[in-house]
Amino acid sequence: MQFDIGGNPHYGDLTVSLAAGESLWTEGGAMSRMSTHLELKTRLPGGFIQSAIRRLVGGESLFVSEYTAESSGMISVSPASPGSVLQRELKGDSLWLTAGAFLACTPGLTLQPRFGGLRSFFSGEGVVLMEASGEGDLFYNAFGGVIEKEVEGGLTIDTGHVVAWEPTLEYRIRGMGGLKQTLFSGEGLVLEFTGRGKVWVQTRHVSALAGWLTPYCRG
Amino acid sequence: MEIEILGQGAFESALVHLQPGETFVSESGAMYRASTNVDIDVTTHSRSSGGFLSGIKRLFAGENFFFSTYSTDDGQQGEVGLAPTHQGEVHVIEMDGSSDWLCAGGSFLGASSSINIDTQFQGFKGFLTGESVSFIKASGQGQLLVAAYGRIVSTQINAELTVDTGHVVAFEDTLQYTLNKAGGSWFRSWLGGEGIVLNFSGSGRILTQSHNPSEFGKMLGPRLPDRSA
Repeated sequence: MQFDIGGNPHYGDLTVSLAAGESLWTEGGAMSRMSTHLELKTRLPGGFIQSAIRRLVGGESLFVSEYTAESSGMISVSPASPGSVLQRELKGDSLWLTAGAFLACTPGLTLQPRFGGLRSFFSGEGVVLMEASGEGDLFYNAFGGVIEKEVEGGLTIDTGHVVAWEPTLEYRIRGMGGLKQTLFSGEGLVLEFTGRGKVWVQTRHVSALAGWLTPYCRG
Repeated sequence: MEIEILGQGAFESALVHLQPGETFVSESGAMYRASTNVDIDVTTHSRSSGGFLSGIKRLFAGENFFFSTYSTDDGQQGEVGLAPTHQGEVHVIEMDGSSDWLCAGGSFLGASSSINIDTQFQGFKGFLTGESVSFIKASGQGQLLVAAYGRIVSTQINAELTVDTGHVVAFEDTLQYTLNKAGGSWFRSWLGGEGIVLNFSGSGRILTQSHNPSEFGKMLGPRLPDRSA
């Protein structure tokens, strides 16, 4: 299997060459072009309950798509939003992703939804996290450019700007003020990281763009 | 007629240089600059053919009802700048008359008036998934302007290729194509969030776009207020 990420930083996408019998898991709807003979199956990564939770709290697609090549072939996948595509090779360790950051992975990785806590649920931002673990290659995407940041000690980042982080970091989701501010101020939630490890930050925020568009929407 | 592509990457646009007597046709609303001697006319057809009905057909293809036509009114040279809706690349397809081109609804930006523009409705399959599958058919000799969401990749198909409808920009009609679901069944495709794909075969050139505007729309949609509100 060969991976080629093209178009970063503005319009990144991923092209994978598959040998006979190889498969790729992708986020639903991400496939742009492929060899005609590729077979699609829908899969529930991490089991049905996990997937149902992921769907309910995250609004993310319940399934991943599994594309399998019977003979050698290719497939390209692209994220819903313009930005960069990143790769991470997992060797039995894991990486945490925010909702919408998952693009594709080699089959067999465990994709587990993680609930961001009650506060995120009630604020309407619905922070849903995914922990990808196992052995294989993981591809994820950012809206806008990406900043790789080494955390030593502590760092606070708006949840909408967080793409991924290493599991060596401790995280806590909280509002920028008390609960009242979280509910009424329109200030987003933040992820507070402590410890040592890397975090990937995206330079644009989807909800902020939607917020800007909202006054222009007419009924 | 000479067409210059201005800018690069995410923000390309086209500058059309008109010789006296030449006419260029575009999507209405695409013009962002023009020399003062350029006369703009609004029609429902590109050449003499067409009329009200072709306007209706274009509405179904996700296009505007009207075309804008540009020509100079003083016998001098002039220029018109055209900008697409989406962020991305703009390409000129040089048509020599040997083959027609089919252009996805939202990708058509403009064409020289020597090119005949018609809408090809692809049947009712599209309505099942809420996707509109119609193409604009361009025939004749001249230049065709297409715009993409993201990067454009040009591929010469010699055997087979499957492309998601949301990533098709334009292709030569020497290619055969069938509308299909991505998965083994409609139900599976729907479950997986996969849309309609086009299975191409034969030989010919296709332009695809790196990103799918509908996927971006679906990402923004839930964050926007209800239409009824």
